[in-house]
Amino acid sequence: MTDPGPPTTVNGEGVALLPGSDRIQTKRVETTRLAELSHELAVDHGARLADLFAEDGPDGEVTLRSVYALDGESRYLVLECPLDGDRFPPLSDLDPAAFVEECEIYEQYGARPENRKRLNRVLVPPHRSDRFPRLRRRDGRRLARDYEPHVVSGEAFEFPFGPVRAAGWESLYMGLVTTGEEVLDLYLFQWHKHRGIERRLRGLDPERATFFAERADGLSSVGDTLAFCRAVEMATGTEVPAPAGHTRAVALELERIYNHAAAVAAMCQTTGLSVGQARSEIVLEQLLRLNLAAFGHRYLFGVISPGGVRREPNVDEIQALLPAALDEFRYLVDALLVTNSHVDRLESTGVVTPENAHLLSLVGPVARASGQAIDARRDHPTGAGDEPAPLVRTQDGGDALARMRVMVDEVEDAERLISAHLGEAGAGAEPVPLAEGAGLGWAESPRGEALAWVSLDAGGCIDHARLRPASVRNWRAFDDAARAQNVFTDIPIIEASFWLTVAGFAR
Amino acid sequence: MAFWFYRGLRRGIATTRYPKTVDPWARRLPSAPAFHSARLTAGLVDRLARECPTGAVHREDHDLVLDVGRCTGCGRCLELGHGAVRPSGEFLLAVTDRAALVKRIPIRGED
Amino acid sequence: MPGDENGPAPELDELSAELRRRALRLFDRSLHIRTVDTGSCAVCESEIRLLAAPHYDLHRLGFFFTPAPRHADLLMVTGPAVRAADNLLLKAYHAMPGPKAVIAVGACALGGVYPEDELAHGAIDRVLPVDVFVPGCPPSPLALLQGLLVAVGRLEERVSALSLDLDPGSGR
Repeated sequence: MTDPGPPTTVNGEGVALLPGSDRIQTKRVETTRLAELSHELAVDHGARLADLFAEDGPDGEVTLRSVYALDGESRYLVLECPLDGDRFPPLSDLDPAAFVEECEIYEQYGARPENRKRLNRVLVPPHRSDRFPRLRRRDGRRLARDYEPHVVSGEAFEFPFGPVRAAGWESLYMGLVTTGEEVLDLYLFQWHKHRGIERRLRGLDPERATFFAERADGLSSVGDTLAFCRAVEMATGTEVPAPAGHTRAVALELERIYNHAAAVAAMCQTTGLSVGQARSEIVLEQLLRLNLAAFGHRYLFGVISPGGVRREPNVDEIQALLPAALDEFRYLVDALLVTNSHVDRLESTGVVTPENAHLLSLVGPVARASGQAIDARRDHPTGAGDEPAPLVRTQDGGDALARMRVMVDEVEDAERLISAHLGEAGAGAEPVPLAEGAGLGWAESPRGEALAWVSLDAGGCIDHARLRPASVRNWRAFDDAARAQNVFTDIPIIEASFWLTVAGFAR
Repeated sequence: MAFWFYRGLRRGIATTRYPKTVDPWARRLPSAPAFHSARLTAGLVDRLARECPTGAVHREDHDLVLDVGRCTGCGRCLELGHGAVRPSGEFLLAVTDRAALVKRIPIRGED
Repeated sequence: MPGDENGPAPELDELSAELRRRALRLFDRSLHIRTVDTGSCAVCESEIRLLAAPHYDLHRLGFFFTPAPRHADLLMVTGPAVRAADNLLLKAYHAMPGPKAVIAVGACALGGVYPEDELAHGAIDRVLPVDVFVPGCPPSPLALLQGLLVAVGRLEERVSALSLDLDPGSGR
């Protein structure tokens, strides 16, 4: 455990430090002050809302937790607000980034903003509302029944697409509101895949819980599991051995590379460039075989564990296979960027403005393509695995082409980082004591900052877990991106350029 | 656009020859576990059953019952098995009869 | 007829399963597949998408993906059949004209990862009649190809003959 540094002050009041870390600060706030404090954090301290969630205690009392990232100071600040009854201040009126989370809290705990604002359905399917299990423990709480009605009127109609979509794409309902070809509005229903993973983690010990955390969002498995394990490590005061830290970095970058290659393949598929798609898929398959040779699993499951790693990388295989795969990737990208039919479809498609990216607190390549220079590896380093720092490059356009350029730059940088960590990577894990505690963990997954919060009971098992894969933050920008003068056929391109997963949202 | 064609020609054929042959790289794929029945004990099997995250392994009297359908190839039983558990190398496991995926291995070792 | 009052006799279930399997053999050189996700972690989907990629190319074997249920012969299902997906799964199945079959793909779909509870059925065969089961987490594209070839009867399945006992015949 490191010595806590001097606490920051917010609004002239001191904040406490979370035991076990000098990077996480917690502050208990009264409901009367929550809105004012949130506003001040955003305006005066440049804080980014990283997450907002609730927890209920044994007597049914609900506590709100908002996690603010102070990227410039390399700190996270967790505001803890015990609710008096079922109401909390309407945070999303001042901070649009909080809206989806308010809907989630209403659905799972029955607590809602004071102004009785109508909230959207998030994860509870309409046909099973009453009996559907929720995170809240005590029954008798008011159920979420008062949803914002879904109405489309005037000359526009809703063109329903999904949830069962083309070959090998996740279940996702898109309601395209249109008068013909242009997309006026877009609704997403993502509750078809809700597996209640946070609920399933209750009562599990961290090691067992890791198995499920890995499978919440399989394509971001390393990033999400890393965030989860770091939360456990903070909660129990476990220090990860340096070789394991390097191994974790290698796995994380390998995951980033294959995901970006898959995104390029998907973009080629959606722009109709079959040759580009085929070449990208060749690279993707090479990378997945590399993952298998390096860590024993094509998607890098089973590498990260609480306290360290379960496997070490096969250095020879990585050194033999990675350069060839990346050469092909570069060759492919060069060709794509001079293929006008492809570039024309990506340019100005699905624009996420820098204002929106900031207002909605987006993360990852989507945010960086809209000018937000944030990256959890650089802004919130944790130890051996985060040196050297990544090169954080941004683009201004915010369109699909900008997102592709950001991903391509990240692949180049990932190669440099893998080389830096490979020599010192090793196996091993520090045993995690079964102890009471709470912790916050984070990692820069391929889709952006992944967060996790765990609170452990006296037996060291999970009392409450919050998993926040990057997809939870970024899907909310999708409808804005789709609305900006796009037509139907642009929607799949935008989806591919975002490269999120429904599983990550509907965990 | 012609460069796409020439690059493709240069690269050659990437397609697997499966089902004629199984690619060599595939030998590394996670596979269902195989057991040295002579080294299995009731105590060990109970421990494996406790640690298996999907309940693919359990003990029925003097048999270890493995439901290959539930197995994710996570390798925890390999780590705990102390040499009694090995990867089978079998990853082509499709069946028409679900019951065929449930294998019984007798526990022949002594505690 | 036996079993009239209490529902179809078990032998009739067996018979209809056998009929479905035999019918599928008629499609052995041209099988159209529709995919449905009932709550996977998205990795099985990634392996399924690679079936059309150059390394695997399912088209050379006479298999094709189709977005249209009316055109589909085989329903390829991933995920543990979360109850939120009941509607979409049953609609996708019933929209397919017979003869048709179902292939359940991955440990989730086979009952491994999620239990049967208020959130999920836990396994596809609790909702639909499943004709082929493909284990794996995820099953690699090679395993998926084997599953498809077994479904149309071009390959024999290997698991029944497989012994996972490394010391057979050593006593008892």
